Amino acid sequence: MRKRMLVLAAVVVGGLWGGAAVAGPTSGMLSNTCDGCHGPGGVSPGPYMPSIAGMPYNFLKQMMTEFMKDERPSTIMSRIAKGYSDGEIDEIAKHFAGLKWGVNNGASVKGKSVDPDKAEKGKSLARECEKCHEDGGKKQDEDTPRMAGQWLDYLQLKLGEYKNDEKYPQPKKMKTQIDKLSVEDLEAVAHYFAGQK
Amino acid sequence: MYDLTRRHFVKLTGGLAAAGLASSFVANPARAAEGKKRVVVVGGGYGGVIAAKYLRKVDPNIVVTLIEKEKLYYSCPLSNPIIVGLRDLKVQRWGYDNLAKHGINFIQDEVLEIDVAKRTVSTAKNASFSYDKLVVAPGVEFKWDAIEGYSEKVSEKIPHGWKAGPQTLLLQEQLSAMKDGDPYIIVAPPNPYRCPPGPYERAGLVAWYLKKNKPRSKVIILDPKDKFAKQGLFINGWKELGFNIEWVSGNDGGKVTRVDANNMSVHTEMQEYKSSAINLIPPQKAGKIAQISGLADKTGWCPVNQKTFESTIHKDVYVIGDACTVTGEIPKSGFAANSEAKIAAAAIHASFNGQGEPDPSYVNTCYSLLSPDYGISVAAVWAYRNNAITKVSGGVSPEKASAVFRKQEAMYAESWYQSIMAEMFS
Ligand SMILES: Cc1cc2nc3c(=O)[nH]c(=O)nc-3n(C[C@H](O)[C@H](O)[C@H](O)COP(=O)(O)OP(=O)(O)OC[C@H]3O[C@@H](n4cnc5c(N)ncnc54)[C@H](O)[C@@H]3O)c2cc1C
Repeated sequence: MRKRMLVLAAVVVGGLWGGAAVAGPTSGMLSNTCDGCHGPGGVSPGPYMPSIAGMPYNFLKQMMTEFMKDERPSTIMSRIAKGYSDGEIDEIAKHFAGLKWGVNNGASVKGKSVDPDKAEKGKSLARECEKCHEDGGKKQDEDTPRMAGQWLDYLQLKLGEYKNDEKYPQPKKMKTQIDKLSVEDLEAVAHYFAGQK
Repeated sequence: MYDLTRRHFVKLTGGLAAAGLASSFVANPARAAEGKKRVVVVGGGYGGVIAAKYLRKVDPNIVVTLIEKEKLYYSCPLSNPIIVGLRDLKVQRWGYDNLAKHGINFIQDEVLEIDVAKRTVSTAKNASFSYDKLVVAPGVEFKWDAIEGYSEKVSEKIPHGWKAGPQTLLLQEQLSAMKDGDPYIIVAPPNPYRCPPGPYERAGLVAWYLKKNKPRSKVIILDPKDKFAKQGLFINGWKELGFNIEWVSGNDGGKVTRVDANNMSVHTEMQEYKSSAINLIPPQKAGKIAQISGLADKTGWCPVNQKTFESTIHKDVYVIGDACTVTGEIPKSGFAANSEAKIAAAAIHASFNGQGEPDPSYVNTCYSLLSPDYGISVAAVWAYRNNAITKVSGGVSPEKASAVFRKQEAMYAESWYQSIMAEMFS
């Protein structure tokens, strides 16, 4: 908690274009282009685009680094991540980690909506998931991304990839749990987490 | 030039001038704010709106006035699917109401003149706005006289559909009305122009429609160029999807020199092509206001400092988006305009505060659809290094990819659109 507060304070003091430790573009300058896809302030209104505001710093950094090294499959992110140095990726991760998680709104095309029955079913299935994705997916520590209130369409897409793609990089614990669940189970789990605000 | 436009503008506003003047004085927020820095933004598209928003975001003390001639904005990105009935024009239409929430003074009016000596702009409704810095983002204007027989009037019969709106609907009507067996003709423009992959995205989607609805028809692209953006991906994709598309390159005589609207035909040096459905995308240059205010050079586009987007012709005027000349192969795209706007806003802010030019970071991502489930993209990051815009990473989608990958790119295209629109209009 204390650490998070410090990060937040640094971002506020640094301002929109401040905060960079090294010469070169500031963290704001580097990060504000991300908003073009991930939404204003990293809160995405597009159902397949994940919201990244307020995600853990370590997690964001790890994702970007894996994209950069082609260790994590993606469509365009590996092409983009290669455009930044390690230091710049660090700045970008800091920037979004310092923002507040928000729930998407204002989209003119809404994503799929959460089905309460599926969410209920997902709740019991997600018990194992919640050992790491605690508190209905709201809790996030250094490496665990927030799941609560993420777009349903995105969660379904990604859980499908985690399940079906052998090469998908994921923690061992995650793989074990995913393997235990069927495609329908995962669908329900996605409804559960997407429905948590 | 000055006198000419002045006279023109007086004639245009005519009797309304007196009334306009009175109301404009009251409605001119730029004047009310004593001592504060004033930025006027001309044009409320992908570039202008983001510049206005970011200026306010970085310094709420800046008085930002956005002047846009239209009441509503129609997005070109994702307008091609409308032509083939995959989308409704309604989801391309956006209003400016939310800008007030961000403290931006939105003025619906057309800027007719920029006086760089006095640092004022004047408008069709006879208002005048003073600025400390000016951002000009008017998009493109067509070179109506570049092809014999073509004109703005003729474009109502042979549409361009290169500004979304009624022209897009006209293309839709003509496509659905054309006879099975007739060719669908697309005339592509020479470089540089708005949205390099755009004509080819359109060709694919039209071919997708024809395959289902008019299987004896094909698409013919008449092109003055010998290569085009994402060419390999487009051509492979068209083949994979079984589309009937003939691309006639410049070398093969694809350059159209004449149009005959009565006869519904276009002419290259070698051949005449006739059809009830012709889409002619004319050659382009920077928007009219950039031309009449002397911001454009002889290329027709506006030269700018590549690090700040300040005009190299007029100080304190920044030109962003399609209208400016950018090096490093940054395309004329909505995403690029968005990225440039953020850089210009940072540069203006720094200049107001006596700081040096900030280090820019430029990004572009552009999706094209070949069919509803088949998307491809180009993405890149640039940095300013050794006094030049330098591409640091990027490229197009892989040549070989699974159907799932192509489908995902199509899905991301829609989500990208929601995000970038929310950045502008929410
Ligand atoms: C078919 C098609 C598909 C496209 N697809 C994509 C895509 O997928 N992705 C992408 O990134 N880009 C795409 N583009 C390109 C994109 O539309 C442009 O690059 C983008 O609109 C440029 O932004 P801009 O701000 O320079 O100009 P615009 O968006 O055109 O905005 C200019 C604004 O200025 C106003 N204006 C002009 N003159 C005046 C004046 N004198 N006074 C007041 N207002 C004025 C105009 O009314 C207009 O609203 C596409 C384009 C087309 C045609």
